[in-house]
Order: sequence, then C-alpha cells, then structure tokens
Amino acid sequence: MAALLITINTVAQVERGSLLIKNGTVLTITKGTLENTDVLLKDGKISQIGKNITAPAGINVIDATGMHVMPGIIDAHSHLALDAVNESTSPVTAMVWEGDDLNPLDVSMYRAVAGGVTISHAMHGSANAIGGQCQTIKHRYGTVDPKVLMMEGAPRTIKFALGENPTRVHGNNGQGMVPNTRMGVEFVIRQAFSEAKEYMGAWSKYNSAKVKKGFRGAPPKYDLRMETLAAILRGEIIIHCHSYRADEIYMMLNVCKDFGIKRLVFQHVNEGFKVAPELAAFGAMASVFSDWWAYKFEVYYSTAYNATILTRNGVITSINSDDAELTRHLYHEAAKTQKYGGLNDEEALSLITINPARQLGIENRVGSLEVGKDADLAIFKGHPLSVYAIPVVTVIDGVVKFDREKDVDDMRIYVDPKQTIDVADAAFEEHGAHNHDACMKNAEFLLNVKMSDLNR
Amino acid sequence: MNLLKRGMLALALSWPAILFAQDDKALAPVSRTYAIANVNIVQAPGRKIDMGTVVLKDGLILFVGKNVSIPADAIIIKADSMYVYAGFIDGLSRVGVTKPKEESQGGSQQQRPKDPGNPKPEEAGITPQNDVRSSLNPADKSVAEFRNIGFTTAHVVPYGGMMPGNGAIVLLGGRTADEMVLVNKSSFYSELTPAQRVYPGTVMGVMAKYRELYRQAALSRSYENMYAANRSGIQRPATDRVLESLYPVVDKRQPVLFKAEKVTDAQRVLTLQSDLGFTLWLAELKEGWDIVNKVKASNAKVFLSLDLPEDKKDDTPARKKEEVEKNDKPKTAADVEKEALEKRKADFTAKYIGQAAVYQKAGVKFGFSTINVKASNIPSNLRRMITAGLSEDAALASLTTVPAELLGLSDRLGTVDNGKMANLVISDKPYFEEKAKVRYVFVEGNLYKLEIKEAKKGDPNAKVDLAGEWTMTTETPKGKNDETLTIKKDGNNFTGTVSGGRLLKPVDLEEVILDGNALTLRYTVNYDSQNLTVTVDAIVEGDTFKGTASIADLGIFPVEGKKNPK
Repeated sequence: MAALLITINTVAQVERGSLLIKNGTVLTITKGTLENTDVLLKDGKISQIGKNITAPAGINVIDATGMHVMPGIIDAHSHLALDAVNESTSPVTAMVWEGDDLNPLDVSMYRAVAGGVTISHAMHGSANAIGGQCQTIKHRYGTVDPKVLMMEGAPRTIKFALGENPTRVHGNNGQGMVPNTRMGVEFVIRQAFSEAKEYMGAWSKYNSAKVKKGFRGAPPKYDLRMETLAAILRGEIIIHCHSYRADEIYMMLNVCKDFGIKRLVFQHVNEGFKVAPELAAFGAMASVFSDWWAYKFEVYYSTAYNATILTRNGVITSINSDDAELTRHLYHEAAKTQKYGGLNDEEALSLITINPARQLGIENRVGSLEVGKDADLAIFKGHPLSVYAIPVVTVIDGVVKFDREKDVDDMRIYVDPKQTIDVADAAFEEHGAHNHDACMKNAEFLLNVKMSDLNR
Repeated sequence: MNLLKRGMLALALSWPAILFAQDDKALAPVSRTYAIANVNIVQAPGRKIDMGTVVLKDGLILFVGKNVSIPADAIIIKADSMYVYAGFIDGLSRVGVTKPKEESQGGSQQQRPKDPGNPKPEEAGITPQNDVRSSLNPADKSVAEFRNIGFTTAHVVPYGGMMPGNGAIVLLGGRTADEMVLVNKSSFYSELTPAQRVYPGTVMGVMAKYRELYRQAALSRSYENMYAANRSGIQRPATDRVLESLYPVVDKRQPVLFKAEKVTDAQRVLTLQSDLGFTLWLAELKEGWDIVNKVKASNAKVFLSLDLPEDKKDDTPARKKEEVEKNDKPKTAADVEKEALEKRKADFTAKYIGQAAVYQKAGVKFGFSTINVKASNIPSNLRRMITAGLSEDAALASLTTVPAELLGLSDRLGTVDNGKMANLVISDKPYFEEKAKVRYVFVEGNLYKLEIKEAKKGDPNAKVDLAGEWTMTTETPKGKNDETLTIKKDGNNFTGTVSGGRLLKPVDLEEVILDGNALTLRYTVNYDSQNLTVTVDAIVEGDTFKGTASIADLGIFPVEGKKNPK
C-alpha cells in the first residue's frame, strides 16, 4: 500500500539568482528597521545583511538609496493561476487539489509581482463545507511548468467553508441535500471526520494483519477523499476555513477540539473580533480583509478594526486579497490598520509578510528579511505603508521578476492565435465604462495594459 | 469457357473479400493481383527506387524493385512517373467513429442530478469497458475523406469523458467494423475532460478521480491474483467493470493513450504518468514546443496534432477599405498597440506550425494525430510544417515508419517492402508538393481510385453574352436543385441575384467574374442558420454553361446552366 502512495515527483527546475541591494532602508519585520543597509542575495537565499558589503564578482547591484526594502508580500487567500476554483459537485471534496490545475500562464501573477507580492495561497473556492486542497505558490512568472510555481516544502493546506456559500450550493436552493443550514455544515464536517477515523482504523487493522505470515484477506477500499481527511486528523494538513459569523467560528473551534485538530486558520473571519480571545486560546489564526463587507447577509456585522482587535488579542492575523486586483496593493490594505486601530509599522507590515507566512507554515523560509531565508523581497519608492508608495523592483529567489524601469506592455507568456482584438472596446473602456461584463472578455488584457500606462 | 476465364472465376470465388464495394461500385475486381508499373517508389524516408514496379497480391506486397516480372493475372496500374508511398498512419483519430447523441453525460439537461458527488460511472464519463468497435462505421464519410489524402490506417477511439474506452487500430477500408480492425483494444483512451454537473466536474476532479481509480484497480488486481492462486477460505473479489478495464493498464500490458492539446494539460498528463507509472502515449499535442525535454524524459510515445491555427489574412473588402483609410491618417496609440498585439499572435501561430520541427531537432520521434483536423486541411498543414523547418523525410517518417514503430506494427506497416501489407498511396507528384494529387490508394490490397476532374480550360478570346436570366441546376446528394440566375451588365462589371430552388428569398451575387468564357460566381446562402459560401466555376458555351459548384466545405457538385429565352 505504501508503495502505491509514494509519488515520484520530478524535480522542477527553479531558477535561483544572486544580487546585491545597496544602501536601502531595510524593513526586516522581525529584526527592526536598518537604515543605509545592504542585502546580499546568493543562489536564491539571503546570505548577508549589513553595511558596506562588496559585491562578489559577476553579481548585479541594485542601488536602493532612498528606497525601502521589505520581504516579499504574501497573500494568504488568492485564486491566481488556477484553471478551476470550485469542484462544487459534493459538500466534501477533500480529494481534489489545486496543485493539479495550476496555470503558470496566468498573467495575473505578473501583476501581483508588480505589487510586491511574491507568494500566494492558491485556494479552492468556498462552495463546499470541505473543499479541495490548496497550493502555496511562488510567483515565479515566466515558466510554463506548474511544478516550478509550487513552493517546495510548503505544508499541505485545505479549504473548508461555513455559512451561506455551502448551504446555498448544496441546500434546498441548490442541490437539495445536506447542508441546508449552519447545523448541517457542522454535521457534514463531523460526519466526514468520523468516517475518516473509521477508514484509518480499517487500514491500520489491514496493514498490521498483512505483515503476519500467511495472511490472506482483502484490503479496505482505497478512497482519496478519506486519505486526505485522515491526513488532516494526523496533523499533516492545515485547515483554512472560510467563515464570517462568530457562532460558526466558535462551532468550528469545538469541532477541531473534538477531533484533536490543532492547525487551523480562519479566512475572512469578519466577526473574528467577537471571538478573538477564544481564537487566541485555541491557537487558531485569522486572515481578514481590511475593510470589505456587506456583500451578503452574513457579512454585515463587520469592522475595519477587526485586524487590530485580533492582533491585540494575540491572534496571528494577516490581511488577504481574495482577488487578482486587490492583491496588487496589499500594502495599502495593510496601511488601513494604521488609520483603524493604530498598529505600528512593523505590526501593519507583519499582516502581509511574516503572519501569512505563519498561517501557511512557511515562516522559517519567508516573511522576513533574515540571513538564510529565501531571497524574496520588494523594493519600494516611499514607505510601503505610505499612500505614495510605488513598488519598483520585486525579487523572487534572488531573481528580478519585476522591474518598473523594464516593464513590458504585453507580459503574456502564451498568446492565443484565435483571440480577437477589439481596440474599439478598449477605447470604450477609456471613456469610463465598467469592465465587468462578458462583452469585454477578450479585451481585458488590453485594458490592464492601458491602466498600467496611466500609473506611470 | 476458356482456361483463363475459368481460372479467374475460381480466383473470384475463393476470395470473397474481393467483393468489397469500392467507391460505391458494386463490381469486384477480377483479380487481387496488381502491378504498379513505372513508378517512383519511396520505400521509406530516404530510400527510393526510380521508375520501378510494385506487385501486390492478396493484400500483401509481393515484389518491389526494378526488373520485376509482372504476373499474368495482374491488373496493371499505369502510374507512369507517379510516386508511391506506404499508406499513412494516423496516431489518434475518430475516423469512422459515430458520435453518440448528447445525453450520455450528466443525465438530461433538464433534470438535476440527484447526488452529483456520487454519479454512476457512465454519467461521470468513466466507461473504460467501452470498445470503439461498437461505434465504428466503415461507411462514414470520414473514412473516404482520410483515405483520399493517403491515410490507410488509423488509431481510433470512442467518444466519452475522462475514460471513454478501448481504442483500436483500424484499416480505412472494409464492410464491417470488425473487418476494419487490425489491432483490437490497442489502447486505454483517456482525456482530461470533466463530466457535466457531476463529479468530476473540473480538471482537478478528473486528476483526483484518475489517481483514485488507478490505485483502486492496482489493489483489487493484486487481491484477485491472491484469490486466483487459492480461492478457499477468503472472500470472493467483487466484480467491477471499471476497475477490471484498468487491469491491463496496471499490468503494463496496455498503454494509456492520453489526449492533451495544451501545454498545461500535457504537463498534467505527465504528472499522472509519473505519479502512477502507466505506459503513456501522448497524443494531439499542439502546444508542446516549450516542454520537449520534459516529454522526451517521460519516454512517452508522442503524436503531434495536424491541426494548426489559420494564418489570419483578413482581406475582406471592409478590412481593405479600413486599411486604406488608416494609411491616410496618423497612427493612434491604439493602432500601435493593436499592431504589436497582432504581431504577437502571428509569432504564436508560427510556434504552433513550428512544433514538429522543434521535436525533430530535439530527436524526439513522433507520429501525427488528427482528432481535431479536417482531412482537407492536412496536406497544406504538412506543407506549412515543412516550410517551418520540418524535413520532408521527417514528415514522411511521421506519417509512415514512426507511427508503425510506435504502434508496434513495423513488421506489417510503414514501408513499401516485400511481405508488408499492401497499404499504399500513389500521388501524381511528390506528395508534399502543393499541386500533388493522390490518384490511387490501396488498403490491404484493395484499390481505391480517385477521380480527378481536370478543370476544363476556358477560351480567353471567346465572346459570351452573360446578361440575362439563366436556370442553374446543381446536382447535390439531396437531388437536383434548380435556381434562377439573373445577371445584369453594369459597364464592364456584372451584378445579379440567385433565387428560387431552396432559397426563401433572392440572394445577391457577391462576385461575378467572366474571363473569356470562364465564369466564376460567388454567393452566400443561409441554411440551417449557417452561412454557406457557394462558388460556381463553369465554362460558358453559347446559351449553356457547365462546371462545378463548391458549397462551403460540404463538397463539390456538378452544375449546369441554361439561358432562359427572353
């Protein structure tokens, strides 16, 4: 059985570079702010942080005088670079995995890089109580190999969802089955974990019998859904749970306590401020929007102070985008916590760097500027929390992935020869029309090129 | 009855196979021995005999070479200065496969599936027990279409979802499905196609389901082996038509033929292969230029798509007018941007066309597949690949020797050699030349002769009075169709309309060209809410004309015209 499960992963060819960044204001996040400091990146890792570092031969130098150098921004909730988001055919779809439908050609990744975002959490959607497994990706834009995007060694994660979305999809207004209510969602999750325990029991019974001499018998039926749920129970997968209301958040804490699950991150968590001490006591984390709410009934009771209240209660908190556009200015989203709650610079920047890294289980690799960590960083003109901040260079694994000076208009990797180009649509857009209807579909890329022109 | 005639009769009676209906001619050939004389023989890429003879007997190649004595009973094919090649082999195809009605997946459109997470395998596109032979129709018009451009063998697969069923290698001839089949259950055909409205409804669902079924099959296979060795005292293994169909794959006795067109899908298939370890034949690849090394490392057998994006030449009158107007005005920022975007599109079209050359350069052997291409586009697409750097020898190899080798048929197919099956294509010029036409095709020794209608040359000096009313009669498979053609002279140009017949209202002629007495008409009819362009080419003689009408890509039909008395 074990042999069946071992996957032979071909080693992806990841490009790693070296670079010296001179004389910047280095926002390390975990070790303070260092003025007039150099950062040496070697073979994809941060090898030295200090003053007057001389560039080893053959290494490019970026003069960051007057600029701010911060860790690459991490977005703990994103759907970039995915061909499919929801396998919505069942309330429990733990067997599917977003790593299987990564699309390295998605130009949104480059746009995220242009906003200093180097890592995102490519998540399954919220149609199901237990959705699919997610994949933490590095925005190594420029490859066609999906395996290159996968952050090597990042822990497995999975999407859960509470409240209106799974009940709407599967309940009486959807597929007419359980869950139709919040109690139904709890039941679906408890039932799935209970079945997984039985499944684990059946397999461990079989495996221990199998090694005995002369054993003859049938194995239990292999079930990929149960395999994944069992891995959650064994602590190998971090749950990222879509949630809004305090009652259902508290419910989920209890479910996890009952099944001995410790690695739990809540997503959105608009009412997290009501149960902040409970979250902190459990050790659950929270990934929130800065100030987005009221887009459906369960999201009315919200506050822009959410991130601050959670932080002040000792909950590891991040601010996410859940959106290909918003991700490009997560630094502004983080800055809002200074207006609403008065977080200091380090706390505010932690919301988009080391804290999401902790939530994804990659904090020993990224999220702060420390020697030995991955060479992922963003260089800003102006302080990244300033409304005047401009991202100028983004580096991933020591390789420059965005340079404002050398930003090409058309950054698509593949071009569909059958795609129609209608410049008339683009002109229409320039005159202030909205971009959300299907008739604009084939011109979207064009519009965004225009928008980047305007920003310059 | 003389001896010779008697011998022929005996011959005819002893080989019932020669009673094949060929090209709708009910009569059987009097002999199954053929001699193709004075022909340039391309035995294999790079191996040629100028002006030799090929003798076929009973479906096999008997002799190839110069100075061959022609058997007395041979039907002689005068292929003077023509070119004979081994019949082409198609690596993934639906030639002759009947498409099922749209209901097999996900239940009917109105009814909501009851428990979409647990559909029946059939609803989820999981029908690996199916056999393409059940949906094979030798009379399907695609069989003749592909044969007419030189294909004699095709690896055909059933329609369906992620696991449609067993493929078969078939000959493009025969009266019944079984007669067509050369190799049965040659592959376990797979696609990354999701089911509709039920699990697996996404590509990640298909990947997960594929892994799960494969692992379940491996487990139940080993339990079945244990049970078969000693059936006493343990539970009987459950039967399962899906898992059982996977056993040959798990045992590595049957390859998985996986369709993957896009660069992303091809890599997903390679991931499944490396996770599960099956033998992979990767087919219909269109965007493989960046992953050639990865494909090479996988040891998959490769079949590249013969479908290519069109070279976009928008030269409609409206576009031309736009161009002229543009040239008078200074370029706007939008113009510059549009030009840059069009250039990138052209660059990518070139990449699709150049894929085969990239694979040749990397030393990856590949055959071709045709599941998405119209037969009529194949010769020109091959020429485009050759212009983009694929050598003619490599192109020929990919149509003959390589697919024969990849499909394990080198002992029977792929070259013009003694003892091989008599699958041959004969063209009047070297096959890859633009004006080359296929004249004869042999499928296992059965001759298919292609009628070439030599276009009648017009007389450039003839005087013709075109203006007036004509009755135009087109012979289509649905019967004769009479239409009224009204042509007016307007200076040096002609205008006019077509009316009557199956047309609900008169249609304007878009083009009327008269060169001497050679007439070309073009108009568009709307049929079944489709716009079909009709082009009539005819020679006018007095008050009549004769020629052909080509209707979109439905076909070319005879047409005649007669001027109505005033």
